[in-house]
Amino acid sequence: MIERLLDDARRRARGADAIWRRVESTSVSFDWGRLKAAGATEEAGIGLRVLRDGRVGTAGTTAVAAAGELVDRALASADLGGTVELTLPGAAPLPPVPTHFDRAAGASLDDLIAIGRGVLERLTRDGCQVSVGIGRDISETRVANTAGAHASYRTTAVGVSAEIWRFAGDDVLMIGDSWEGCDLPAQDRLDALVRSITDRLERALRIVAPPEGALPVVFTPPGLAAILLPVTQALSGKAVLQGISPLAGRLGQQVFDPAFSVTDDPLRPGRAASRPIDDECVPSAPLPLVARGSVRGFIYDLETAARANTRSTGHGQRGIFSKPVPGYTNIIIGEAGSGNDDAVGELGGGLLGDVRDGLVVDELIGVGQGNVIGGAFSHPVALAYRVERGEITGRVKDAAVAGNAYELLKRIGGFGTDGRWYGARHTPSLLLEGVSVARR
Amino acid sequence: MKDRLLDALRTSRADYTEIRVERTWGSSVTYRGRRLESATATEDQGGFVRALHRGYGWGVASFTSLERLPAMVARATELSRAIRVEDPIRLADVPPHEADALLDLDGDVRGVPLAEKKRLIEAYNGEMLAVSDRVVDTLASYRDEVTEYWFVSSAGAMLHELRPEVTLSGTAVARRNGTIEKGLESIGLRRGWTGAQSRSAGFRAAAERAVALLDAPGVKGGRYPVVLDPELAGVFIHEAFGHLSEADFIYENPQAREMMTLGRRFGRPVLNVGDNGAEPGLRGTLPFDDEGTPTQDTPLIREGVLVGRLHSRETAARLGERPTGNARALSFRHAPIVRMTNTYIGNGRGTFEDLIRDIKLGVYACGAFGGQTLLENFSFTAAYGRMIRDGHQAELVKDVVLAGNLFQTLDRIERIAGDFRWNQMGGGCGKAGQGPLPVTEGAPHVRIEEALIGGDVPA
Repeated sequence: MIERLLDDARRRARGADAIWRRVESTSVSFDWGRLKAAGATEEAGIGLRVLRDGRVGTAGTTAVAAAGELVDRALASADLGGTVELTLPGAAPLPPVPTHFDRAAGASLDDLIAIGRGVLERLTRDGCQVSVGIGRDISETRVANTAGAHASYRTTAVGVSAEIWRFAGDDVLMIGDSWEGCDLPAQDRLDALVRSITDRLERALRIVAPPEGALPVVFTPPGLAAILLPVTQALSGKAVLQGISPLAGRLGQQVFDPAFSVTDDPLRPGRAASRPIDDECVPSAPLPLVARGSVRGFIYDLETAARANTRSTGHGQRGIFSKPVPGYTNIIIGEAGSGNDDAVGELGGGLLGDVRDGLVVDELIGVGQGNVIGGAFSHPVALAYRVERGEITGRVKDAAVAGNAYELLKRIGGFGTDGRWYGARHTPSLLLEGVSVARR
Repeated sequence: MKDRLLDALRTSRADYTEIRVERTWGSSVTYRGRRLESATATEDQGGFVRALHRGYGWGVASFTSLERLPAMVARATELSRAIRVEDPIRLADVPPHEADALLDLDGDVRGVPLAEKKRLIEAYNGEMLAVSDRVVDTLASYRDEVTEYWFVSSAGAMLHELRPEVTLSGTAVARRNGTIEKGLESIGLRRGWTGAQSRSAGFRAAAERAVALLDAPGVKGGRYPVVLDPELAGVFIHEAFGHLSEADFIYENPQAREMMTLGRRFGRPVLNVGDNGAEPGLRGTLPFDDEGTPTQDTPLIREGVLVGRLHSRETAARLGERPTGNARALSFRHAPIVRMTNTYIGNGRGTFEDLIRDIKLGVYACGAFGGQTLLENFSFTAAYGRMIRDGHQAELVKDVVLAGNLFQTLDRIERIAGDFRWNQMGGGCGKAGQGPLPVTEGAPHVRIEEALIGGDVPA
């Protein structure tokens, strides 16, 4: 299909590239403790980009049967389009990465229901409501361009998410967690998911007063979102090009704690975002972004790389309907070489021992609002615990934390032993000193 | 198409089956600074089938290839059969409607060349760039859509609609040395090409505000009497209260239901809140929801007391109430879930000046950069603010973040002005992976006795 489109485009434009993707998903959900729905989706679409007279145009469709009109539409888009001299990559050998697991692809609806029921039953307790969702995607992707590059690969992805709700008058507590991977979860992964939720729930039942002042705070892997979001935004070549990245021009400089590293690894085995080639036909490779505290690189797709006079790092991500943008795959935070798997760690990652008075922050409200990339943050806590003399003494409500991510990451008080995947990011808990904590 | 849908429906052996098919033509043009970032047209199509056997669960299937329609009806019925439920799912009755409700396309965007759309947004972008040298970057985008929509159900519903939508948005970034400020403009209409015209003033105002904020001090954190402008008041009522009134939050959850018991006092007698999916001309407006239920005006809080909630057919049956036309799906890719449409705080009395006359020191919080509610806690970032001093508006301030507890804050709404307006913004609402869904909010100016304004946290 896309070969025919590219042949057509080749005759009428200087170059073109295309992506075809087909996804088949199956999902079941237990809402408020009850299995009520099962779903299936089948979706396919084509995205086309053409280059003509130094201009770029794109078009996309899910009406695959009528895809012939795509070239016309993409050319019309190019007539108006921005000018950029893109060089499409040629054919290249692809790195091996396992992305398709027969066991996941072959799992029946009943298999998925059984996984969900197992998690549900272990989370069920008096006075609480539990919701569990399980999804499995089987995808096939083809990418090709007029410079001779072409590839296709299949992936499987499985996700399990669970949340527990507890209402006590107007105090509402919600604690959730999720697991995702390419294969069905092993039993110990599900055990860890259940334990992660029940552990945080049990420690949240007692409410204590929040401390106040500039204090040591342990940010858990989910809680680190507010700290890491500015960093990952600033490490995008697009932000550098727009002149809004505080890390632009700092290549090679020591900006963070010498133990702090950030790597994006599209070849990480077992991860749903892994792939041998990006959506613009650039072969995948791990990319060090921060190593031992120094800025080492930024992620680029073809267009931002062309405009920044550099090379694509293989981070082109593209939906059917939109043009490619730079995007991360699997982000690994911490010391280089770490992050192979999910450690089964306790809350706080073993970092609480040295904390005389402080907090464990697991979730904040409003992360992503405002001027994120600048690094300054100020958020009410959604889920946080007080730490006194090395022990968690209870949950704090009505507290807010504030600081500047870049300043806090200059001196990291400790890396936890609880490194794990949370969404697209692998990180341990981090102990950060001098975080502003206020009562509300 | 109708015959094709009815044929497919007849093959289902489930007790209830519904099919939706959508075909969407869309286009978008985006400028960043003086550079055109993209101009593109898209076509999206697909279908959705939902089937229910008595005593079993929902079977749901969505697909992009319409040839697969009969196979997907079979798949949905089979998925339903795979799930045994102890407590049968019931659906509240809705008389089946047959309608060819072609909404007014207001200048069909499909007949307008992409180049003309480019010229329009280029001009609005130019308005922002022309305001000052300090405007160092802009983002301006035009987006339109027309969706042809069919809905049929085994209960006899047969709906056919054309749904237009157009959104315009602008961000102006002003910079001086290390200080960067933003101004936003956002317009979202269930209209077409005509509705997108003559919108320069809003874009210019966004850029002027970004420049003005460069000189504005950050607001000093603390507790103040706070007046919300209609835009922020609308966002507040949607995020902080509206989601709790969606019945899928409580219908299987006795404790949540207790928290949201009808008759509970949520505010003072000045407070009236509702959701109206039938109000003509708004972005959240449609004749029917995605279960074929007609939309309506649903009172939620009357004179401070909780009097209603938003329902799908399933949640209404479970709670013994009536469907309100709030089962909405983002697209054929999704099942309908309980959603808001056009949510409002009802009009009060008097002017904005009356509202601030007796405030010695307070904050007037305007517009919204963003907001998040987590259960009973919320945090909203206003686009800008003004101090209120001795009953008058005073200096511009920035970094106005309003945070607090929902129940306390609703109860502290003490006065509401008589200057109600709908805020026809772009963006939309996200829930359960379905977003942005077109919604509208409306409110007058609202005065909160005392609220925490923060950002600055003392070290």
